Order: sequence, then C-alpha cells, then structure tokens
Amino acid sequence: MRFHLFIAAVSWFVCVDSRKIRGISSSYKRFYRERKSFLCIDGSKIIPFEQVNDDYCDCEDGSDEPGTSACPRGRFYCTNLGFRPHYIPSSRVNDGICDCCDASDEYNSHARCQNTCWNLGQRERAYVEGQMRTLDEGLQLKQQLIEEGVLLWREKQAQLRELQQVAEDLQIKLEDHRRRKHEADRRKEQTLKALEAGDGGLRLQNNTVSSMFQSLDSNKDGSITVDELQDKVALIHDEERSLSEDEAVALLGGGHQMDVTKFQHTLWDILTNGDSVKIKDTHGALDSVVDEDPHLKAADRAAKWEATNLKKVEEAYDTVNMEISDLRKKLAIDYGTDWEFLFLNSQCYKLKVYEYTYTLCPFNQVTQENTAGTEVSLGKWGMWAGTPKNQYSQMVYENGEPCWQGGSRSATVTLTCGTETALRSVKEPSKCQYIMDFQTPVACQPVLKQRGIHSEL
Amino acid sequence: MSLNSRGLLAFEHLRMRKDTQADPEPEKKEEADPDNQAETAKEEEEKVEEGMWEETFKSHSDGKPNGPSSVSLDFSLPGVEHVYGIPEHADTLRLKTTDNGDPYRLYNLDVFQYELYNPMALYGAVPVMLAHHAQRTTGVFWLNAAETWVDISSNTAGKTVFGKMLDYVQGSSETPQTDVRWISESGIIDVFIMLGPTPKDVFSQYASLTGTQSFPPLTSLGYHQCRWNYNDQEDVQSVDAGFDEHDIPYDFIWLDIEHTDGKRYFTWDPHKFATPKEMLQGIMDKKRKMVAIVDPHIKVDSNYKIHNEIRSRGFYIKNKDGGDYEGWCWPGSAGYPDFTRADMRAWWASMFAYDQYEGSMENLYTWNDMNEPSVFNGPEVTMHKDAMHGDWEHRDVHNLYGFYVQMATAEGLIQRSGGVERPFVLTRAFFAGSQRYGAVWTGDNAAEWDHLKISIPMCLSLGLVGISFCGADVGGFFKSPSTELLVRWYQTGAYQPFFRAHAHLDTPRREPWLFGPENTALIRDAVRQRYTLMPYWYLQFYQAHHTGQPVMRPLWVEYPQDPATFALDDEFLIGRDLLVHPVTEEGVRGVTAYLPGKDEVWFDVHTFQKHNGAQNLYIPVTISSIPVFQRGGSIIPRKLRVRRSSSCMEHDPYSLYVALNPQRTAEGELYIDDGHTFNYEKKEFVHRRLSFANNLLSSVDLAPDAQFTTHSWIERIIILGASKPSKVTLKTADGQESHIDFEFDASMSVLTLRKPGMNSGADWTVMLQ
Repeated sequence: MRFHLFIAAVSWFVCVDSRKIRGISSSYKRFYRERKSFLCIDGSKIIPFEQVNDDYCDCEDGSDEPGTSACPRGRFYCTNLGFRPHYIPSSRVNDGICDCCDASDEYNSHARCQNTCWNLGQRERAYVEGQMRTLDEGLQLKQQLIEEGVLLWREKQAQLRELQQVAEDLQIKLEDHRRRKHEADRRKEQTLKALEAGDGGLRLQNNTVSSMFQSLDSNKDGSITVDELQDKVALIHDEERSLSEDEAVALLGGGHQMDVTKFQHTLWDILTNGDSVKIKDTHGALDSVVDEDPHLKAADRAAKWEATNLKKVEEAYDTVNMEISDLRKKLAIDYGTDWEFLFLNSQCYKLKVYEYTYTLCPFNQVTQENTAGTEVSLGKWGMWAGTPKNQYSQMVYENGEPCWQGGSRSATVTLTCGTETALRSVKEPSKCQYIMDFQTPVACQPVLKQRGIHSEL
Repeated sequence: MSLNSRGLLAFEHLRMRKDTQADPEPEKKEEADPDNQAETAKEEEEKVEEGMWEETFKSHSDGKPNGPSSVSLDFSLPGVEHVYGIPEHADTLRLKTTDNGDPYRLYNLDVFQYELYNPMALYGAVPVMLAHHAQRTTGVFWLNAAETWVDISSNTAGKTVFGKMLDYVQGSSETPQTDVRWISESGIIDVFIMLGPTPKDVFSQYASLTGTQSFPPLTSLGYHQCRWNYNDQEDVQSVDAGFDEHDIPYDFIWLDIEHTDGKRYFTWDPHKFATPKEMLQGIMDKKRKMVAIVDPHIKVDSNYKIHNEIRSRGFYIKNKDGGDYEGWCWPGSAGYPDFTRADMRAWWASMFAYDQYEGSMENLYTWNDMNEPSVFNGPEVTMHKDAMHGDWEHRDVHNLYGFYVQMATAEGLIQRSGGVERPFVLTRAFFAGSQRYGAVWTGDNAAEWDHLKISIPMCLSLGLVGISFCGADVGGFFKSPSTELLVRWYQTGAYQPFFRAHAHLDTPRREPWLFGPENTALIRDAVRQRYTLMPYWYLQFYQAHHTGQPVMRPLWVEYPQDPATFALDDEFLIGRDLLVHPVTEEGVRGVTAYLPGKDEVWFDVHTFQKHNGAQNLYIPVTISSIPVFQRGGSIIPRKLRVRRSSSCMEHDPYSLYVALNPQRTAEGELYIDDGHTFNYEKKEFVHRRLSFANNLLSSVDLAPDAQFTTHSWIERIIILGASKPSKVTLKTADGQESHIDFEFDASMSVLTLRKPGMNSGADWTVMLQ
C-alpha cells in the first residue's frame, strides 16, 4: 500500500502545476500548498495529498473536499469572475442546478450552465448604481426632510409653549372666576339667612295666618288634622323625626282637628315664636321664598351667572389641556435622532393589493378597506421595532380589530430607502398578521453606501 | 375461527313498500287465490315500525325506498386476545373491546377536530380486521361499503395479568377468545377470510384480493411542505428560497384551496396565481415539485367549464327525486360527480391532460380532499343516504366514494403522461384497495402531544390493511404547536412513510426556520436523516408494491411469537431492519424502547452502540434525539450527500451500513430505477442482494433479466460489530482485485471501508482478511 501511495505521490508531483485545487478562495490557497500530505484545516487528521478533492470525505471539517460534494459540512467557493464571489454548500456541487454564475459548481453534471457572471455583474453594477443614485437622492431628500423636521419640531414646540401660555392664562382666569363664584354663592347664602332670621318676621307677617294654615291644610278641607300635622311639622331639635300621634294631638289642643280660628290663637303662636316645633324645610318653600324676594333673586342670579362663567372657563381650560396632552403625546413619540420621521405624522399612504386597499398613517394607524367599503383596523401605533443597530427600520402597529380565532390584527412595517415616500407592498403571511414595505427617503442610511462601494463590487 | 357461533347471522330481506297505490287490493286477491292467504297473513305479522320507511336525523330526512335493511354476522376467534385493523379510528393499535360503549364505526366522515381514543368514524374505512396469537395470524375482510359497525368482546377483557395466571395455575379450562360482530346497513354478506398462518401470509392473501401499494415516485418519499395556504406565487417563491437559504431539503410544495379561482378546481386565482407555469418552472429549476388540491365538490356556476360539462353529461349524483344533488361546500352550492360511474371517471381523468388543466405541468401533482364526501349542510356533514348513483343508493356505496375519486385522479395523472409517469395523489377518504392509487393522511389533527402520539397507531393500523403510504400532518393541523412539539413532530414524521407538514389557515406561520437557529438546526437534522435513508424507503415501497407487506410495521409482525410486542404502538419498524421509538412526550429525558429478538442485537444508528434484543432499553434523550436502531443482520443502503431535493441526489453514491448479527452475517437489498416512470415494469431497474458471511461482503443480481444503468457507485461501507482486518480486498466481476483503505474504531467495533468505488449495479465481492 505504501508503494501504491508513493507512486501516486510521484505522479501527482509531476502534474502538480497543471492542477488547480477546485472550490477554494485565494485566501485559503495556503492550506492547499503542494505537499505529500494534507492536514485537515481543523488539524484533526493528516491524509495523503492525493485524497484532496478525490470525491471522498476524509476530514471532519470537510476541508479535504472543497471542490466536490463529498463532505456534508463542506463549502464550495464560486470565484464568479465579473460578479461577486461567494460560497455555496458542497451539496450544490454537481447537483444539476447552476448555482455559481461561472458554472464552476457543475463541472461534472448534465446541467448545461452558462457563464452568466458578466451579465449578472453588469446588472448588479447597474442595480448598485441605481441604488446609489437612489441613496444619494434619498439622502439629499432626507436632509431636507430633517431640516423640515427640525422646523416642524420647533414649530410644534412653539405651539406647545403657546398652548401652555394659554393654559396658564386660563388658569389665572379660572382661579379668579372660582373666587368670584364663591363670593356670589356666599352673598346668596347670606341674603337667604338674613331673610330667614331677622327680616323673616316681616315676611312671615305678610305671610298671613291664613296662608300658613292653608299650607298645613293639605287637603284644603278647612281644618288641620293629625296626619297633616305629622306631614308638615317637625321638631326643631330633631328634624328627622316625625311627630308622634300623641304629640300631634297635643299640638292640636287635644283634639283631632283644628280650624283656622283656633289655629290663629294656639298653633300659629307656637309655630312662629316657640322653640319646640317648626314647619318642615322644603325646597318648594325656599323657591317660593326666592321668587318673592327681590334681594334674594338678584343674589341668586349673580351666583348663577358666575357659575356659568366658571364653567365656560373650565371648559376652555380642559380643551387647551387636552390639546397640550395630545401634542405632548405626539412629541413624546420617537421621530428619529433628527426628527426625520416627524413629517410622516399627519400623512397617510394607500396601496391596493388584490381586492383590498391598505392605508398606513404613520404613528397613528393602519387600516384595510375592501371593495365594498368596509374598513377594518389592522393596528394602532405601537413602537419602533427594528434591529438594535437601526431601531428605525421597523414599526409595529398593534391591537387592531379582533381576529376570528382570537387575538387581534397587527401590522409590521419595514422601512426602506427610496426617493419617494410610499407604501410598496402588503402581505398577510399568517392570518391577521400583516407585513408592509414602506419606502421613504428618511430610511436612507449613509452607511449603506459605503458598504456598496467596498465589498459589493 | 368460527362463524355465527353466537347466532348473530341476521339480515333484513328486501321488500317492496306497501303503499295503497302500489299494492293491488288484498281482499280481492284473497278471494281469488286462497293460496295467497297464508302469505298475506305472514306479511301482516310484520308490524310497520316507525322509521322503517323513513328516518329523520336533526333536520335531515332519509327516505328509505327499500325499507329497513341490514346484514350482520359474528366471528369467534378462539385463542385470540389481540385484534387489529378496521381503520380509520384515532385509537390504539390493539383494538379495544366495545362491551361498554359504541362499536367501532366505519362511515367516511369529515370530522371537525376529532377526539382521540374513540371508536367514532373518521375520514376513511377499511373493513379488514386482523386477529393474532403467538401461533397464528388470520384476517377477516368484510366487503361492504355501507355504514358498518364492529363490536368486539373478549372473555379475558378486564382480567389482570394476575387473574390470567391464576386461571393458568388453577387449570381453568377457558381459553381466551375474542368475539367480533359485523353489522352493515345495507348490501350483502360478502366475507373473505385470510387464514395466514403468518402475518406475511395474511398480507399477501389480502393483497391478492385488493392489490398492493402503488409504487410511488421516489421524490414523493421526501419531505412535503404544505400550508393552507401559500398566498400567492411570490409567497411560494419565498418559501422555496427559504429552504435553500436554510439548507433544508424538500421535494414538494403544496397549494390548498385558496389557489383556485373561487374554489373552482382545475383553475387558478387570476391575481394571486396569474402565471402558474412560470411558478412551476421556477420550482422545476430546483428539481422540485408541486401539489395542488382538486376536491370532488364542483361549484354550481354556469360560467365554470367543469360544472357545465358534468351537468350536460348527466354525471352528477342525483337526489332521490331525480334532480342533480346539491350541497354546500367550500365554493358554496356544489354538485358531486358520480365517481362510481366508469364513464365519469374516464372523463374526470381526461381533465388532467395538460391542454385541459390550464397552467398544469409535469411537476404538478394532485391532492383529493373532502372526498368522504364532505357536504357542509348534509347529515353528519356528508351526503344524504338516499341520494342516487344510478340505480344505487348512496347508502350502499358511501365508503367507496373517496376511493373512486382517487382512482380517477391517479388515472388522470397517468394518462396525461401517456402512461409513462407514476402518479402521486393524496386522499383523505379511502376504502379497501385505496393503496393502489397513492397516499393517505390522517386528516385534520391538532397541534397536541396526544395527536403526535396517535399518529403511530393510526398509520400502523392502515399499514396492516394494505395502505402503507400514510402520514399525519407534521406540527398538527389545528392550533399552533409549541416549538418542542414541532421539533418532535418533525423527528417522528421523518420516520413515517408520508412526511408532510401542514397547518390551518388561522395558525401563525411555521416554516422550519421561524423558531430560531437552534430549532432550525434540529428540524434540518431530522429532515436530513430522512433523506439519507431515501434508498431504504424506496426499497421498502418497491417491496410493498410487490408483496403487500406494510412499510411501517408493528413489531409483532416481525416477532409474531413474542407477546411483549403485541400491544406496542409507541415504537415501530420500517421494513424489517429499522426500529424507531420517536420521542412523543413533552419534556422527557428518556424513553424506554423494547428491542425484540432473543438472539438478536440492535445498533443505535447514531452512535453505533450495540444492544441486545429482548430487552426494555432505557434511552436518555435530548431535544436532538431520535432513537432509531438497525437490526444486527441487516444491510441498509444510504445516500449521505443530502441535497436540495431527492431528485438532486439521483446519481449520488451509496454508503452501505452493514450491521452484523451474533453469527457475523448480514443481508440486505439495493433497488435502483429511474425513480419516476413505469419502466420498472419493463424490467428497467437494478435489484441486488447484498450479503455478508464468512468475512465476505458480496453483491449479487436478484433480477438478472432486468437492465438499468446507474451512475451511482459505492462510496463507503460501514460494518458495525466488526473486528479489525489486516487487509481488505475488492474483487470485481472482471476478476480484478484491489486494496481498499479502511479505518477501524475499536471502541465501537466499527470498520469503515474507504471509497471502494464500484458501480452500484455491478457484481463485486469485498474480502476482509
């Protein structure tokens, strides 16, 4: 066997220069320098050099078969001159499908692969140039939008300050009105008390015996009964408690009823001057009092006027505060490092896909409308959800209309660089989960351009 | 076995309905003919009971023009404690006694979210039962396509092992016995009894009656990616690209009902699938294929060609009043073609011609769903029993409908290629003999651990009655699986005959790469294991096609004398040589597999560790484990260069896994053909016997009259349980000898022969010295 190997090694040596190690990149050439033996790149094994690319996998790491499909974990290097070099899994070598544009992966198969690298390269270059133009243009537009965004931001800030000023003014006004209302209320109260106390006699005098009798005589039969008395008269010291029948009978002078003549001489006096019982306080009674007293009337009108004024100011104050909170909420949204996404806030973008029209209103909501005009919410603004490197590459809209099988609709919007701002595609890979592609200049990143120049070409 | 020993042979004779209009005046008859008197009196004895001539179920009514009808017979099986078969039921492999509940029901139904461990009827029906005890296996084939019930009782049911031992010690004379009673709603008693005596004999006896498993295209044994639904062509393309990006092989991508133009089968949605040929070409460029659904319910729509043709030809099933039967299904109002008619089937088959089925290409195959048939507004979601197939009531042929749908479809796929290409058709409903037309799956299961577990006995039961090409929806159809369940389901499905992932419309996406890189790797590994074994799977199907032996087998089929195997249904064999005990329980750290065979050994296919037979082996498992063992004494060919699809692996070299038994011998076979045509019937194939004995491994031709040229060669030979040779020599047919390099792993006793390099179709011998 050794002799066998030796012969092989010698014959190998003779034609070494003409044989190229298939499937490796130039940076890996150093591992495949011509020797008697080959060390697997992971160092696990030494094999005779003739076993490199002999269509049998010897190395655990697949490094002895860079040019064949023999190793399960191997990879094949497509040089792809004129295009972009890349690795493919070994399993794609000679599988009858053209993977490398230089056709180098199908060197022993029925597939008739053309070398398409030049065309691909041209297309790629045209594409990259297009992309770069787009990027340049996009970045310029983005700069404008950033400037606009800054202005808009300032404008909004100014608006906020203005509103806050208005709110402050309103607050001062509000306090003034509160004070005034309080004052009016107090005045009204005083008038009422005065009426009830001192000037009350006057009023009550005018308010004759007969009118009090009538007010007590609920059924208007010309006499006051126990029931009527229990209904209308209360103890001064215990207003809650009704009179007992005995107490009522006592007040009626031992009988079960009393006419107006008797009333004038007995109960009238007890009610107006005594300190044991009184006529029950009722609103009707007070109102009728107010109705009749001009001072009280004026005080009441003034109090009502102040209350209306206060309410108006309060409403204005609430409205302004609501506006402030809305604006604050809007301004609290992260519009990017330079407020470049701010201009999207009040915009909406539509796209028709098959039978549906989708509307994306950034930072607000996403909706879907069918041909019949029925609108369904696919989600309200949730958050930025991009990569840690660029969190502004993706938006999430959540808590849309509930789904048939539970859960609610949601939409994930991916932002890509483009010269205009538009909704490009909408898909529903799983029920009720929408993904959208949204193009806008503000998604353009200068770093992309650099990568394009250095490694893609 | 004895028949009618319990005297349950019974039938309702057919009778004419005695309506006043239909019957001549009886009195006159009596007078005219006194002989008739006795007869009439006898007839009068039969009281007309309610439901004899019409029945109602919920809001449905069933006119019964033949009146009450039914047939019944009982079978007694002395010595038998284990009976199997009569699929389809979501139940254990070993059938249970039905004394305390409903009998097993055979009536093809579209069941919504079916229950497990239950004798209720499901999508298909095969009225075949196998009975087994250590000395003999027998079978009963009750050929009746009407609604059928099977009652099982046993004199040992409920007895504990201790009780049985007590019987034995006390010399109790009672031998175990199982009694079975079959009842069908209509038709005749037409019974075939398979006498065995071995399981294999029963399989071939049954195959001689109903045929064997069709030999599927090799690619259909690969992995199938399905979902209700891939939304549009772009979606299909991106899923296809996803498999390449994540380096996971697959052979078929599937389109469910949404791909059609308004559920009109044989059409495409004009927006979402506007250029189907472009899509199919894109898939073909990757050497992959597609399946599109074609259901048997036909939208009633005068602008739909298929409907107009069926209507004008009078091919629709009729209702009892003679009009076209109409029911509700996916398209709304739908007609149901009468597939029991040969002329209807011939017409249906012609619709698959490339110029008829617009947008179809040779890599488009077919899936027949809803063929129980499913009628959303029908009794039990199926067709009214009094619907008419010509002179036959639907009642008489119900369980055959799905069988005929698949038959006609498979015939269509054969015809479109001029009889050259093998078809692939998946069906949900089936009957005895459906194996001849393609694959079946276990219907609308759910993403639950118990559903994963039940997939094993469900497919084993189907295999026992001839239907080998069986699988369950990987991941579960309804609901959403946990990542662990999904991974375990892939691992299990990779070792079941029909390997397809499927998901309901309302579930989140679950393509294999959506669960993080670790889980992607686990699923990739499971699918790759499947692909390395494709030569073995293909051989199993070739053999099933010839012999009727099941591909996925219960252990007792190979170890019929070992009672420990009789009720096992958490592990199974593929062919004779691979034993699989998938992990079907959540969060477990180990499984216990029974390795059968007293004097046998089994090799762990992953570690090559050797284990003795006739033992319960505890196997510690991790999330990546799929416990699989190769039988000592077997040789299994594999292809280790797993590529994008099985078509891409066609010319790849083989690795032979030779597992030695204690006698240091082993045997196996290798079968190779073009993988997709009927040319194997013209003897265009390679079929070799590989045998190892006396340190000689040789390949001999099993079919010297067959001819086929293969590019595949033998890449490596791995001998498990070997000792270290001093040298290894290859001797080819021309007498040339050459040395073969080898490596020996003493710790596992594994000898690897490096690159022997001979053609797989050639004669050769390898000598270990």
